[in-house]
Amino acid sequence: MATYQEFIQQNEDRDGVRFSWNFWPSSRLEATRLVVPVSCLFTPLKERPDLPPVQYEPVLCSRANCKAVLNPLCQVDFRAKIWACNFCFQRNPFPPSYAGISEVNQPAELMPQFSTIEYIVQHGPPTPLIFLYVVDTCLEEEDLQALKESLQMSLSLLPPNALVGLITFGRMVQVHELSCEGIAKSYVFRGTKDLSSKQIQEMLGLTNSAPLGQQGRPLVPQDAAAFCRFLQPVHRVDMNLTDLLGELQRDPWPVPQGKRPLRSTGVALSVAVGLLEGSFPNTGARVMLFIGGPPTQGPGMVVGDELKTPIRSWHDIQKDNARHLKKATKYYEALANRSAVNGHSIDIYACALDQSGLLEMKCLSTLTGGHIVMGDSFNTSLFKQTFQRVFSKDYNGDFRMAFGGVLEVKTSRELKVCGAIGPCVSLNSKGSCVSENEMGVGGTNQWKVCSLTPSTTLGIYFEVVNQHNAPIPQGGRGAVQFVTQYQHSNTQRRIRVTTIARNWADAQTQIQHIESSFDQEAAAVLMARLGVFRAESEEGPDVLRWLDRQLIRLCQKFGQFNKDDPASFRLSESLSLYPQFMFHLRRSPFLQVFNNSPDESSYYRHHFVRQDLTQSLIMIQPILYSYSFHGPPEPVLLDSSSILPDRILLMDTFFQLVIYHGETISQWRKAGYQKMAEYENFKQLLQAPLDDAQELLHARFPMPRYIDTEHGGSQARFLLSKVNPSQTHNSLYTWGQETGSPILTDDVSLQVFMDHLKKLAVSSST
Amino acid sequence: MEDMYIKPGNQERGWNDPPQFSYGLQMARGPQRNLLNKRAVPPASGAGAPPPMPLPSNPLAPPPCGVTPPTPHPGPPPPGYMTTPPPPLGPIRSQVEANSSQSESEPAVEGVVLVLSRALAACRQTVKDQVCNDVAKRLHLLEDSWKSGKLSLPVQRRMDTLVQELQAGHWDSADEIHRSLMVDHVTEVSQWMVGVKRLIAETRKLSPELLEPLQKPAEPALDPVESVQDPVSQS
Repeated sequence: MATYQEFIQQNEDRDGVRFSWNFWPSSRLEATRLVVPVSCLFTPLKERPDLPPVQYEPVLCSRANCKAVLNPLCQVDFRAKIWACNFCFQRNPFPPSYAGISEVNQPAELMPQFSTIEYIVQHGPPTPLIFLYVVDTCLEEEDLQALKESLQMSLSLLPPNALVGLITFGRMVQVHELSCEGIAKSYVFRGTKDLSSKQIQEMLGLTNSAPLGQQGRPLVPQDAAAFCRFLQPVHRVDMNLTDLLGELQRDPWPVPQGKRPLRSTGVALSVAVGLLEGSFPNTGARVMLFIGGPPTQGPGMVVGDELKTPIRSWHDIQKDNARHLKKATKYYEALANRSAVNGHSIDIYACALDQSGLLEMKCLSTLTGGHIVMGDSFNTSLFKQTFQRVFSKDYNGDFRMAFGGVLEVKTSRELKVCGAIGPCVSLNSKGSCVSENEMGVGGTNQWKVCSLTPSTTLGIYFEVVNQHNAPIPQGGRGAVQFVTQYQHSNTQRRIRVTTIARNWADAQTQIQHIESSFDQEAAAVLMARLGVFRAESEEGPDVLRWLDRQLIRLCQKFGQFNKDDPASFRLSESLSLYPQFMFHLRRSPFLQVFNNSPDESSYYRHHFVRQDLTQSLIMIQPILYSYSFHGPPEPVLLDSSSILPDRILLMDTFFQLVIYHGETISQWRKAGYQKMAEYENFKQLLQAPLDDAQELLHARFPMPRYIDTEHGGSQARFLLSKVNPSQTHNSLYTWGQETGSPILTDDVSLQVFMDHLKKLAVSSST
Repeated sequence: MEDMYIKPGNQERGWNDPPQFSYGLQMARGPQRNLLNKRAVPPASGAGAPPPMPLPSNPLAPPPCGVTPPTPHPGPPPPGYMTTPPPPLGPIRSQVEANSSQSESEPAVEGVVLVLSRALAACRQTVKDQVCNDVAKRLHLLEDSWKSGKLSLPVQRRMDTLVQELQAGHWDSADEIHRSLMVDHVTEVSQWMVGVKRLIAETRKLSPELLEPLQKPAEPALDPVESVQDPVSQS
């Protein structure tokens, strides 16, 4: 008998799915009483080296409004060659090619181990991948040089048949014609004028050929490639493009004292989106935007060019004093939506010391599945390596990127889909399994995910609709099917289908089954995504109160206690970590904006709502490992009591890796014991966290910041601000004993938080 | 191996910039050894009280003044072979690239350029003139920067290996070396490497007869010391 932990892990490994509840409450009423909705984290393209794709098309249910894919949960009559859809119960004949099937000769999609299966389907000619670089030239010389080199380098990482294009901008926007011969030509646009897609295409001469994919049909790529001088195969233009990039100069317009350079980011993006829209609709493409500062003129401008007017802060936003915020956001949202319709994704690589307008522009990446990378300078390892990793390859030598994804979710009758939270846009498909209640991006059971990596993860929220008085027969199971259509990086069209089922349980008689099926890690991340979604779309501080209320209700429902006796409060093992996750989430940069600029908050939230469970949980509650002479490295509580003089700590917050040397260790290190032969073990102790940190650096995207600090070091604050302040300057003396490190803070500790939680949970008045 | 290294990040330009891994190291990465994703379980009492910890006798004592060796209190680290953390295994090792202790002789520019020129000559029969001239231009650039001492020893060595692979018809391997050079040494190589890249791509397409002249062993190189002026040993 497998434990729930094993069951959960196995499901994640095989299907890329983590559900908040693994037994489902059998009625709507009971479901609402569980507080945490039936929901899941789903990783559509989870890496499965053991899953070879099959080379045929999926078999679909013949009912027009169902079209579920044949799967291992379907009842099959092998003699009559008929299968019954497990979602709508329609009986379907097998297609003729299945004539040979029998109990002993089953197609893969009927075998239980293929609850996830991938089909290669090919309609029409393959389409090459498209990369359009949009480059800010208002950079410092050193940054521009580093960026040029990174771009030249990337030409070696792209597949030879990929199409590339180059747009540069400063005060003006230049679209470069790429050819292998003759002189370099470019088309120049004013950075202040908003142009429609049609105007842009006319000015670029893209409209003289008649069909041009106006029906949303992709062009035959060879024609298009010959036709579009701005997007050319790498193998044809790499020499010229290398020279072109090498010769790029800083924006020549003089920048007067006290002014910002004029940066026409808005128009540059509009030209990029218009160019792709006109030439390659519905084909996988990446716009890669590289910026060294905020947009300062034209549509989409975020701040004026006067340096004496600083870029908006949270304070300005709260005081409704951010002049350009709404207009700019609206402008970029419109661009993002146009791009998403065409299946093109937009990455933003922002490297600047001050803010560069990510708050306004983040929708470009969030709605299109693009990356956001934020660094201080293009001449840093953080940018260079992160950018290289965009082109990293999997075990088959294929890029870890997929394009033009469409995710469809089908449910059995007792369940409806409320919405999704992740890097997606709604396709407004109102099927029968769509709920009236929206959570996240709702009102649909289909979403477009323009760009996916193997770790891209969506939160999907459901609602149980079965009425209380219409019980589900004992042993009944509910099912969900995820159908992901996408363009693989090797240009094949593929469909991945995951079908899962969970048992229904009567919450009145089987509540302990439901309780022990709770996946507290998944639940924490799913609730956190709801919180972040609310914080992004509506009121800020109210989100904390909402989260608190949910936590109290959950504790009331599942805690064991005597009324009005906080000391008696207990939570079972399956919920034991949940309050702690919520405690750290409340303090996290995803919900607190204090000490972060609006750009930083946007950046952190952007990554939070797309990573898989493990990474998301690291963001909520960072991981802390302790290294000492007393044994192998061990995980320790994220608590000030873990900060001890004879330990080295390694903290991973996803965005930062911190190595902290305790007081004694750092003294030993300063005294140079590690250099003496007889203290070889000390040298090894110092080396161990470095090696582990390198492992983490290897796997992480984007590259985190890397902090090597020690007791009393100014950068120790990264650790001190994350640990639970179980000892503070206030409590230090009352404890009477001194362990760990007191933190100078007025923040409440986990202990105080838990005491309040218990009091509220057991109170008869709430 | 000189193509497996880690160099520190750019602290001047980037605050807490992470270290930078070489291309070879990034590619060589196997499955992660130990996943650091565990969390300590809080005490059963529902995180009510801070966990009991062994009391160090005097942790708040001021550190000894000056740079004296540790007083008995922090005490020296336990010497010798007590329970030590598991020694790092894995392929990761920081090491300085291209230490001059490598006794192999420096590769000669003539040998490298000779093979590339032969490859180009073979391509001339099938590839457009304009492309060939463009490649030729870049080979000159390569030769010039090598001769004027602008190429570091690691770049020279890897170029030498690259042409050997090219000569042996190991296109994928040659292409991989070209990529590693672009990633690790883009500043030195970006202007001409694209020509070498094109050359690899074009020779790969040639018929075996056209490749024959390429596979002849290179003539004994001229005395390399003459032509290479004091190669810079660090990048």
